[in-house]
Amino acid sequence: MTTVLTVDEAAPVRLWHRVSQFLFREARLLDEWRLREWYDEMLTDDIRYSVPATDVRGEKADALGLIDDDAARLRQRIEQLLNGEVWCENPRSRTNRMISNVEIVTDRGTHLDVAANVVVYRFGHGRSDAYVGKYRFELVVEGESLRVRRRVVVLDHETLYEHGKLSIIL
Amino acid sequence: MTIEWQPLAGDRIVIDDLERLSFQVDRRAYTDDDLAALEMTRIFDRCWLYVGHESEVPAPGSYVARDVGGRPVVMVRGSDGVIRVLANSCPHRGALICSQPAGQTRSFRCPYHDWTFSNQGDLVGVPLPDGYGPGFRKADFGLARHRSDSYRGFVFVTFDPEQPRTLTEYLAGATEYLDLIDDQSEVGMEVIQGAQLHGARANWKLMMENSVDIYHFRALHKRYVGYIESLGSVSPRRRGGFGRALGLGHAANELTPAAARPLAYWTPMFPAEVRSRIEATAARFVDRFGAERAERITGTNRALLIFPNVMIIDAIGITIRKIDPVSATRMAITSVALAPKDEDPDIRELRKSHYLTFLGPAGFATPDDIEIIESCQRGYLNRTVRYSDLSRGMNKEIPETTDELPAREFWRQWDRLMHGDDGHFEVAHRGEMVAHRAETVAHRGEMVAHRAETVAHRGETVAHRAETVAHRAEMQGAEPR
Ligand code: FES
Ligand SMILES: [Fe+2]
Repeated sequence: MTTVLTVDEAAPVRLWHRVSQFLFREARLLDEWRLREWYDEMLTDDIRYSVPATDVRGEKADALGLIDDDAARLRQRIEQLLNGEVWCENPRSRTNRMISNVEIVTDRGTHLDVAANVVVYRFGHGRSDAYVGKYRFELVVEGESLRVRRRVVVLDHETLYEHGKLSIIL
Repeated sequence: MTIEWQPLAGDRIVIDDLERLSFQVDRRAYTDDDLAALEMTRIFDRCWLYVGHESEVPAPGSYVARDVGGRPVVMVRGSDGVIRVLANSCPHRGALICSQPAGQTRSFRCPYHDWTFSNQGDLVGVPLPDGYGPGFRKADFGLARHRSDSYRGFVFVTFDPEQPRTLTEYLAGATEYLDLIDDQSEVGMEVIQGAQLHGARANWKLMMENSVDIYHFRALHKRYVGYIESLGSVSPRRRGGFGRALGLGHAANELTPAAARPLAYWTPMFPAEVRSRIEATAARFVDRFGAERAERITGTNRALLIFPNVMIIDAIGITIRKIDPVSATRMAITSVALAPKDEDPDIRELRKSHYLTFLGPAGFATPDDIEIIESCQRGYLNRTVRYSDLSRGMNKEIPETTDELPAREFWRQWDRLMHGDDGHFEVAHRGEMVAHRAETVAHRGEMVAHRAETVAHRGETVAHRAETVAHRAEMQGAEPR
């Protein structure tokens, strides 16, 4: 049996493909430590990047998390990571981000709520760690291009006892 | 416990030589499994240990379950309003009676055979009671109640039924610093939800040493120093302040802030809009406590080490850091933020945001601390190098914050306890206490001198700020865009 996709049916597939490609490119830039490029080309000016605590997991708005960066602080984080003054990232970690279960949860026209699963493997200073979590992104649609405005990484770990620290961008 | 470690003369772990002004620690203290096991019985089974803050169990029935000194416990406020620390182990056959990390309940039910306990620990329900004879009394099977007490909201427990000191006696000079923290709000302090649960592949004592070590600040934390300087704060190589031994292993550093303090110390790191509010708070503290004490509460940073395993750092935010050995070469770290309950919501947001830049496993400083102590631990694998040196400042009457007096105080108490002097020999210690008290009086004089210094430094800060702004302008001009 053959099926011919109508234009209407193909549109969401194309959008999903675009979003997936976007997330894969983001992962590649982060893995390759092309952090300035990532910041300049893939994020909005009012980007907010946060990682909630592993106990309350972002369920409480007034709780303290692990990371809550606005654009200025994220830029600081990037510059520090790149200029060699971060002792724990010198030499740089080798990382590998695996992204799956990419889903456009809501299409609001001007922006998309996107969910995905992620595993970030990190190797360095004789240790290997895996960070397992969920991406909760808000992507802004600007014509043909996408940018991230809200970037939340909800870790599934109960604690980071094993990892000790979180010195890379997830 | 069958492990016996009898140090021979000449085979000591801590070599404290007041004549040569040398203080050395044998690195086996960080690597040896037998010593780690002995620490559990001689230190963690004996001392008063920090459990949590009263604000974590605000209402009748509120509880938190956590491990303290390697033992699972529940800190719970009973329906009678009393906070107790109960063993989280069923008296029947051992299961955890509470598997939620926190919550509120009238009773705990053991999932194994459904024995039920009130939130005060009494056994109130046993299914199929006809299986027990007349000698079985529920009163004999309540949850074990540990001896606990609190000081200004900080709850401690001891597993030593013969612990000779009350909590206040045990805390010795540390009470002065807990006062300086709890005095920051008239309605009380509270733990902010969201704990940072992390760890390190290193001996737990390395984190205790690191937490009171200011010497490393400018070297290891270049990026944090750069960050706060970019925001208009100043971190001179030598800051006004000093380290203190507070007796019984407790110690503190007190120093001029390198950055702002959300309580009542504004620097350009904070937005201009909140300046008047922060300064008004500072003025209220002067009214409440007088200029001198207000300055100490609001305008001074401090790091307090409470022996054996809790650190309270009061700087850009307040963190309570509980450090638990997992093995000789591993530790678990639990950090929470403490803040005034009645804090202005904008300032609370600032506090949280800046707390995260410095502290915690993803901040701009703590990850480097974790990595460096793991690096030390790896360095110890080269057993040819036998000792670490902690003698900085032994040559001075008044050690600076960049000296290692707080670490020495920790190690001296560690050494006493590991030799079995667990405080039961009160008489011996009484002399010590008197000496410490004299020291305290001496330090108070010191404080006054340092406060003058602090004021001088603040003048300097203002000058530096202008300089920084000028530099920034220059930088922006020079940097190719
Ligand atoms: S072990 Fe708890 S009821 Fe049996
Ligand atoms: Fe540090």
